[in-house]
Amino acid sequence: MTSIMRLASIETKMFFRDRLSVFWTFLFPVAMIWLFGSMFVGNEMNGLSFAQMFVPSWIGVNIVTTSFFTLGTVLTGYRETGVLRRYQSTPLQSWKILAAHTLQGTVIFFISALLLMVFGMWMYDLTLPAYIGSTLIALLVSIAAFFPFALFLTSLAKNTQSAAAISSLFLNLMLFLSGATFPLEIMPTVLQYVAKILPLYYVIIMLRGTWSEAPISAYGLEVGILLGIAAVSIILATRFFRWSGK
Amino acid sequence: MEHVIDVKGLSKSFGSVQAVNDLSFSVGKGEIFGIIGPNGAGKTTTLEMLEGILKPDKGTIDVLGLDPSRQLRKLNHHIGVQFQATSIQKKMKVKEALDLFSSFYKQATQKEHLIEILGLREKLNVAFEDLSGGWKQRVTLALATLHKPEILFLDEPSMGLDPHARREMWSMIRLMREQGCTIVITTHYMEEAEKLCDRVAMIYSGQLKALNTPPELLNEMKAHYLAFESSGLEYDYLITIPGVVRVEQEGEVFKVFSEDQQITGYHIFSYCHEKGIPLHNFKFEKGSLDDLFVHYLEKEQTG
Repeated sequence: MTSIMRLASIETKMFFRDRLSVFWTFLFPVAMIWLFGSMFVGNEMNGLSFAQMFVPSWIGVNIVTTSFFTLGTVLTGYRETGVLRRYQSTPLQSWKILAAHTLQGTVIFFISALLLMVFGMWMYDLTLPAYIGSTLIALLVSIAAFFPFALFLTSLAKNTQSAAAISSLFLNLMLFLSGATFPLEIMPTVLQYVAKILPLYYVIIMLRGTWSEAPISAYGLEVGILLGIAAVSIILATRFFRWSGK
Repeated sequence: MEHVIDVKGLSKSFGSVQAVNDLSFSVGKGEIFGIIGPNGAGKTTTLEMLEGILKPDKGTIDVLGLDPSRQLRKLNHHIGVQFQATSIQKKMKVKEALDLFSSFYKQATQKEHLIEILGLREKLNVAFEDLSGGWKQRVTLALATLHKPEILFLDEPSMGLDPHARREMWSMIRLMREQGCTIVITTHYMEEAEKLCDRVAMIYSGQLKALNTPPELLNEMKAHYLAFESSGLEYDYLITIPGVVRVEQEGEVFKVFSEDQQITGYHIFSYCHEKGIPLHNFKFEKGSLDDLFVHYLEKEQTG
């Protein structure tokens, strides 16, 4: 256990030493909220205010960026430069590496989520989530689905560049087609079906829902789908963990 | 001598490339054992099989009574590995790296001792990316030896180091051995093998070409040569003299490698005496591992 905590805390510190990742993770989403806010504020959608719609969705998008960039792409880089290979000749087991990075990602994600929420409350009269315990559960379920999913997908990449390419593809796909940024209702039916195979779609429904409408018990289907993705991804990520690119 | 490593009939291929071919050797406790060969000879592949991170196709390996690829986790408590050209996290500070790797081992580590003997104290708060090559090697050497390993594997530890840093690295390796560590080291610097290693295994194309102590290898005569300067002698004649295996010529400077220096010398002297050819700076040379190595390489190519 001590090695997991030690690795997670050092990785968290190193994350904050990298100005670029701090910008993309913490400031970029806030800037996006502000940008969308300047376009949409005042318009009610499905009975929800702008902030009730967009703050939970950008928190959801941040789960995707954290899982693919903060975790997946970084770990691929470690595989490429021999960091993992060095671990391989110590008693450290692979699942502990995944666990430590998951822990680090969770901490960083929660900081970014808090930042978005505070910004929303300050600028756009956002309230605290109506079912705050439910929102927390929704976040944890989403993390459980996305982190191992991204860790597995990016481990298929040979180097950092292709991991970043895989990550950007998934991020952009989900950004535009999951209902996070553009309402699905304005899209063609085909794309609405596509949205439903993207896991972020379910995350957004859960987060918006528990923030304003109903507790987590109302979202059994979403929780079930995400837990299913979590189970499969955890198995894949640990079973096919690779120490080196060779 | 008690063996800590026993290798028998080891083979490994990648696709159609035979990286290691029927290799057998043993390493004694407390030895500095060198594996030398040109790039692509199979040195790293051999080392990675000993470390258990590569599975051999054929043959048996016994490291400290364990089968490396099957008992990797157990083995990792007893061995230390410094990889070739791998990095730790760029932004990790030296102190953090030492703490992190210490947390991987159940037993107490010799962290403080290593900071002292490797002189790391002044660099504890420096990020890995800001260290010079020599300091990086010191840090990764410390990471590999935190748990007082019984065997230390070093893959090209002095690659990319300047001569001064290389000598410092050697003295640190000797220090590790004084503490009771057996050391297996790969290198393509023959000087390093000569000065540092107790025994040297020469491999080429994945095969063992020679295995002995550096002085014994050099006494095998194959590397002995006659050196002289002359303007009247030609390669075509010298190569036909009895005992000569190889001739190197650079302008008027000749190196004549011979299995029998006395006979070869006699022929050169009498030939030059008859023809009135002047000879300068005539020397009997012992040769270096470098020369011996070139000898094996050329034999390989012509044979």
